[in-house]
Amino acid sequence: MRAARRPGRSAGCKMSAQGDCEFLVKRARELVPGDLWAAKAWLITARSLYPADFNIQYEMYTIERNAERTASAGRLLYDMFVNFPDQPAVWREISVITSALRNDSQDKQTQFLRGLFETLPGRVQCEMLLKATEQCFNTLERAEMLLLLLRRFPETVVQHGVGLGETLLDSESIEDQESPVNCFRKLFVCDVLPLIINNPDVRLPASLLYKYLNKAAEFYINYVTRSTQTESQYQGSQDSSDIMSPSKRSSQKYVIDGLTEKSSQITDPWERLFKILSVVGMRCEWQMDKGRRNYGDILHRMKDLCRYISNFDSEAHIKYKNQVVYSTMLVFFKNAFQYVSNIQPSLFQGPNAPNQTPLVLLEDVPNIYGDTDIDRNKHIHKKRKLAEGREKTMSSDDEDPSGKARSRHITVNKADLANSIEVLESFKLARESWELLYSLESLDKEFTRICLSWKTETWLWLRIFLTDMIIYQGQYKKAISSLHHLAALQGSHSPQQITGQGSLENQRALIQLASCHFALGEYRQTCEKVLDLMCCILLPIQEGSKVQEEQPKVKSKFRKGSDLKLWPCTSRAIMPYCLHLLLACFKLRAFTDSRDDMALGHVVVLLQHEWPRGENLFLKAINKICQQGNFQYENFFNYVTNIDMLEEFAYLRTQEGGKIHLELLPNQAMLIKTSSPPMGLLQQEFIPVLQPSIQTADRHHTVTRGITKGVKEDFRLAMERQVSRCGENLMVVLHRFCINEKILLLQTLA
Amino acid sequence: MSGVPVTPRAGPPGGAAGGGTARPRLSRAGRRTAAPLRGGRGERGRERGRERDRERDRERSGAMSDIRHSLLRRDALSAAKEVLYHLDIYFSSQLQNSPLPLVDKGPTDLLEEFLFQVPKERGAPPKRLTPLQELQLLEIMCNYFQEQTKDSVRQVIFSSLFSPQGNKADDSRMALLGKLVSMAVAICRVPVLECAAFWLQRTPAVFCVRLARALVDDYCNLVPGSIQTLKQIFTASPRFCCQFITSVTALYDLSSDDLIPPSDLLELIVSWIFEDPRLILITFLNTPIAANLPIGFLELTPLTGLIRWCVKAPLAYKRKKKASLSNGHAPNKIAKDSASGEDRDCHQLYSKLHLSVLQVLMMLQGHLTEKNLYGRLGLVPFDHVVPLVEDINRLSDELNPLNASKEIELALDRLAQALQVAMASGALLCTRDDLRTVCSRLPHNNLLQLVISGPVQQPTHGALPPGFYPHIHTPPLGYPALPAHPAHSAHSVQTFIPGMTFPYRPIR
Repeated sequence: MRAARRPGRSAGCKMSAQGDCEFLVKRARELVPGDLWAAKAWLITARSLYPADFNIQYEMYTIERNAERTASAGRLLYDMFVNFPDQPAVWREISVITSALRNDSQDKQTQFLRGLFETLPGRVQCEMLLKATEQCFNTLERAEMLLLLLRRFPETVVQHGVGLGETLLDSESIEDQESPVNCFRKLFVCDVLPLIINNPDVRLPASLLYKYLNKAAEFYINYVTRSTQTESQYQGSQDSSDIMSPSKRSSQKYVIDGLTEKSSQITDPWERLFKILSVVGMRCEWQMDKGRRNYGDILHRMKDLCRYISNFDSEAHIKYKNQVVYSTMLVFFKNAFQYVSNIQPSLFQGPNAPNQTPLVLLEDVPNIYGDTDIDRNKHIHKKRKLAEGREKTMSSDDEDPSGKARSRHITVNKADLANSIEVLESFKLARESWELLYSLESLDKEFTRICLSWKTETWLWLRIFLTDMIIYQGQYKKAISSLHHLAALQGSHSPQQITGQGSLENQRALIQLASCHFALGEYRQTCEKVLDLMCCILLPIQEGSKVQEEQPKVKSKFRKGSDLKLWPCTSRAIMPYCLHLLLACFKLRAFTDSRDDMALGHVVVLLQHEWPRGENLFLKAINKICQQGNFQYENFFNYVTNIDMLEEFAYLRTQEGGKIHLELLPNQAMLIKTSSPPMGLLQQEFIPVLQPSIQTADRHHTVTRGITKGVKEDFRLAMERQVSRCGENLMVVLHRFCINEKILLLQTLA
Repeated sequence: MSGVPVTPRAGPPGGAAGGGTARPRLSRAGRRTAAPLRGGRGERGRERGRERDRERDRERSGAMSDIRHSLLRRDALSAAKEVLYHLDIYFSSQLQNSPLPLVDKGPTDLLEEFLFQVPKERGAPPKRLTPLQELQLLEIMCNYFQEQTKDSVRQVIFSSLFSPQGNKADDSRMALLGKLVSMAVAICRVPVLECAAFWLQRTPAVFCVRLARALVDDYCNLVPGSIQTLKQIFTASPRFCCQFITSVTALYDLSSDDLIPPSDLLELIVSWIFEDPRLILITFLNTPIAANLPIGFLELTPLTGLIRWCVKAPLAYKRKKKASLSNGHAPNKIAKDSASGEDRDCHQLYSKLHLSVLQVLMMLQGHLTEKNLYGRLGLVPFDHVVPLVEDINRLSDELNPLNASKEIELALDRLAQALQVAMASGALLCTRDDLRTVCSRLPHNNLLQLVISGPVQQPTHGALPPGFYPHIHTPPLGYPALPAHPAHSAHSVQTFIPGMTFPYRPIR
């Protein structure tokens, strides 16, 4: 039995070293569970007998590794690496260790393997990583491996840095990556590039540095502004079956395909980008100054540079052209993003982010309740002229950029945007950067080239900014085409967007279109957009909001007409704005010299909103009706529930009121017919929109001024019924008015 | 405690003998005839020396008796202090003249009379210190060694105090030494421990073993749990620990049940060595080595002793168990359980110790090469292997092989491993044929067979000499870049040292 344990040595058999080693290793293995010390003693003995046997040393290593003794395991691994470089087991081990190095995991085994690697002498680490890299055929893995090497041994950056960078950029195109936010670019921009440009021994031509800066900027901007839609799409495809953990999906962890979650997270992307900008600038010998500067300072400095350098295209100044273009461009994108992310946070935060009210930049509607007589025509013409004039100056290359930059005031309610000062400052900086980039042809050309290569025209968020900028500049025609572009982008960005609460925000283009059309005096289009928008308004809205109170204060402070306001993009805020627009449109039509009862009627309906602010205008309308002697508006009883107005109209029919002939009932014959039975099915059919409150209509109300005395029965009944509707939510009534009478309203403005 | 501590060279500690003139200097002692302090003096030489000493005593009896008379008037403790004071001055001036001071009879006699209380007059009743006085005396001595800053003076004084003289004072000398070192361990007096370590190197092994026994008695047997105090000495004086290990392995050779090391002691030593196996080599690495080791003294390392422990342990413990059973001390169940539990613990400890020994042997290769002693210094002497093998042979015969086959196999496995690794590392200088002869009567063991036959020659792996591993990391600091001896150039590389995370540097 004993002899059998040593096969090589049994009588007559040829002695075999292999047999001995197997015997020794086998004995050691048997002892491992019961007496580890003895097992090790066996192996030490074995190795002293057969120092060149790999299995003995591998067994020793395995014992130390399994016991997670870093120092001794490292020692043995080193030994095997040096003495048995061709053993597959060694390579397996090395690849396990190097993958642990790349791994984010904090589990014990991974940490042990990392610790094990740390015990090796630097030279060996370097050699090991290089050899491990050679064995790697996957570009990504290979790059990560090389990165480990470069990070640990800066001296290797000179030799491998640029090569790795180029490989990554090549892989991006070879693998047909659609987005610049892909794993290759991430590794290049975040990991390799800083190593290359911060290493004083690596000297690169300026052209390469600009190329890298361009790639970095494209990456970071796209990373920061990645839309939540694509994110959730990605996650959806990733774990669509994972129904068990909806919370996981909503945690908004962004993962770049091919990378781990941890390495997909980039902290302070803008800061990193501006750091790269400054390092590249230093390397390209820009006109830099020391110390940290804020974005305003950078822009200011670029403006100075532009002033001093007359010809950017001369060979000597080409680097300054790059300086101005890249610096200004980054300030532009940074601030434009800052602005958009504040006014429409859901674009970047995703649906589960803390809800900040989205805002929309709109022209204020001036003087809605004021008298239109005096400057009505003049005003419109002037405005129209102004706008067209601006359009011209814009479309031609440039004559006077400073002229455009006239400052307009933007009002924003503190409660809607806590950091409004910063946001408006960002808006300003972005506008000024943009203007600077377009102020000189050579800058414009370069900037346009970059934008084209980045396909910025597909960036929804940028379109939002640009539109707002154009609106701010008062170029409404241009703004309208920009808004159509925006609407198209929105459509493509959210194809299955559910309608409802979220959709109003997505209808920002519609709101702004309405605002622009109005500014251009295109009332029919204004009305059309407003009525389209009404479909998205969510009811009920309580009337009498803060908006009403603030309006006078704001107005008194600033000039009429040139104000802009960031309105909360909510039904509650947008509905009043829409009603103002409608009123402003119809007001003009209603008070022309020619008679338009329909427009006048609409105005009366609309004037109920914010009653009694429009009282003067209402009285003016009454005046006009008196002058006409009669008035026909068949929708009157459907939409006028204001008791003051009802009284006024009731009074008009009386002797004292001038016995005005009012045709306010849609179909008098039918009304008379239905008036004998107090309440009937027919009536309900006829006025389908009337609410259950109609049930109280047959109760007798004592209406003042003796309406019941001399008026016809049907009119009296209608009035009585109407009085009972006074408690109805006016916003609901007006909303219904907009929805149901859409065609009529549009016809009125035709 | 009473008494002014002895302060070296700080003037007279007071008393009758005031003033420098009244104090006879001992420095005039004849250097020519004095025996060297170092051990190794032959018995005949010692006799001759004594005759001369007596002669010289007669010449200088006047000066000596002056001092003696002044000391006689004092109480025992202040006299002891005074003797130390005189000795300090004496050796300090001697050391200024010569690096190896000589001790002559006069001071030794004074020491014996006033420190070890040996009566000078023949037949006089021995003076006895009360236990309290003895404690105070020990404190005086401890303080003296603590405060003397010169290593050389301290060591010479220690030697002159405690080197066995082959006379009747040796018993009290050894008794006092045991108590002093024990006290130094307890209150962690590093200078005393260092001196004791040197003493263990320079004193015949029989005396070393007595010191070891005294310490083991104090710390393993007397007060349970006090072993922890001894354990802490590891950091204070590794050199002492190393010598202590060597001496206890010499004491406990497992030749009988009584000479099995107490389990506390075993645990202590294993914990020390496992914490840092280099401990075993400290004396070796810090001592200038002569190729021929003196006989009768402790070995340079405890390696042989530890190998003996590990190899014999399975058989010795089995024998002990068998004896207790056959003596009719059939243990009850609880005692049996605890005993078997203890055995299991001991088994683990020996296994751990054995591994440490092998690891140290692996380290040794590099050190031997570095010291240019590879192949020239058998740290595990073949002469000691022979009786070990005989012991095993006898023990395995004694035990019924059928009942003890496991123990026999384990002992032989360990023997084979120790022999192989010791040979490979150059600690054991012998051929495999020598081993074959020695081990021929041992029971069969596969590994032992393999070791005796040696590895099957295979195609050589690169340029590696058999038994050698390429060096790792950089060579240790201070190692010569080139071997001092061209004949050993093949061994100039640092060898594989398992369990070592960095190149060895002597602890002290």
